[in-house]
Amino acid sequence: MLSRLVLVSANAAKNSSPLGAGLVQLSRLHTSPNSQAPVPPLPEKGGKTRHGIFPEELFQLLYPKTGVTGPYMLGAGLLTYFLSKEIYIINHETISAACMATVIIYSVKRFGPDVAAFADKLNEEKLQKAEEVKALAVASLAQAIEDEKKEQWGVEGQHLLFDAKRNNVAMLLETNWRERVHTVHNEVKKRLDYQIALQSLHRRMEQEHMVSWVEKNVVSSITPQQEKTSIAKCITDLKSLAKIQQAKATV
Amino acid sequence: MMLNFFDQFMSPVLLGIPLIALALLLPWILFPNPAARWINNRLITLQGWSISQATHQLFTPLNQGGHKWATLLISLMIFLISLNLLGLLPYTFTPTTQLSLNMAFAVPLWLATVIVGLRNQPTIALGHLLPEGTPLPLIPVLIIIETISLFIRPLALGVRLTANLTAGHLLIQLIATAVFVLLPLMPTVAILTASVLFLLTLLEVAVAMIQAYVFILLLSLYLQENV
Repeated sequence: MLSRLVLVSANAAKNSSPLGAGLVQLSRLHTSPNSQAPVPPLPEKGGKTRHGIFPEELFQLLYPKTGVTGPYMLGAGLLTYFLSKEIYIINHETISAACMATVIIYSVKRFGPDVAAFADKLNEEKLQKAEEVKALAVASLAQAIEDEKKEQWGVEGQHLLFDAKRNNVAMLLETNWRERVHTVHNEVKKRLDYQIALQSLHRRMEQEHMVSWVEKNVVSSITPQQEKTSIAKCITDLKSLAKIQQAKATV
Repeated sequence: MMLNFFDQFMSPVLLGIPLIALALLLPWILFPNPAARWINNRLITLQGWSISQATHQLFTPLNQGGHKWATLLISLMIFLISLNLLGLLPYTFTPTTQLSLNMAFAVPLWLATVIVGLRNQPTIALGHLLPEGTPLPLIPVLIIIETISLFIRPLALGVRLTANLTAGHLLIQLIATAVFVLLPLMPTVAILTASVLFLLTLLEVAVAMIQAYVFILLLSLYLQENV
């Protein structure tokens, strides 16, 4: 039942799809009785001949009955028959035929191999051109394979490159981080220096203020009596010093 | 059968059937068709090579319009060469010894070249009647002479081929007869005459091919003037 299903669906596919008919024909290539493909190869050499004109098959045909000399006897007998019965008469045409035969045989023997070699060369050149194209294609593909192998080898060494780059990047990052830490450090130091300066300023100002206050108090506490007595003392000190100096000078 | 020297030039008839038709058709079987193969046997390769060489030689001087005549002229040349060469074999009939056949080739082809020239480029075709650089007083005479030469052309083409082949065949016959007659009488003289015959045969082979080639070459030259 399933096989019937397959057959029916195959039939439907053949008739419906555009490729279906073609697929059916594909399976029937080279099977019809009129088919000539594939063409059989040409024979390498022409038919074998004895003495250039008599096919070898004649000799093979006569060999079982008349042996090796059979066909030659046949030829000689025929010739004798034609001549003696005057079916063929020797006349001037015979002479001219003999002359023509000499020319033909001489030219075939002399130029035959050269002409055959020339024809073979023409065919060889044709083949060679196609071979060249094929060889070029093969060479270019081989070159492509070589290049690909080189690329793969190159890729193996690439990890060194990547490591170096990675190190480079790590170093850059490190440098950057250190710079930033340095900057932060400097900024923080600046802030702290500011605070210190502020504090020292504050202390100094306090100190100066205290000193000036003390001085002011002291100066204000000096009574005019004390000032007179201190000035008189200073004068007497100075006089005594001047006397001492004078005494030193005269001594 | 005793042959006379005129038999070879009579159009052969067997029981009322003209055999010249066979003589004209049978050379066709000597030229194989190229097979549907990329590399052929030696005969087809050589045939193709020689035909392409001849075509190249003959049609390179011609312009595009002349190349249309290539099939006709090259096939005619192959036909004439094969007829001439086959006629050298003994007991064969050479159709090209018949003036009727050669005129039948020459006149229509020559006339076709003239008509093509007069239709497409009448001034240039008529201008060929006067060679360049002729002095003024000679012009009328020269035009008459050139017109006569123009109309002689087909006659010359046909008669040249006929005469060459007929004369060659006749000479071969005569000298072969001389050898045949002298052979029992004076064998040495016969040998000498036979050597003359050998050289003549070589000449005739050459003439057979050359005459066919010349026929076609002249036609191509006439075409070159007119196309």
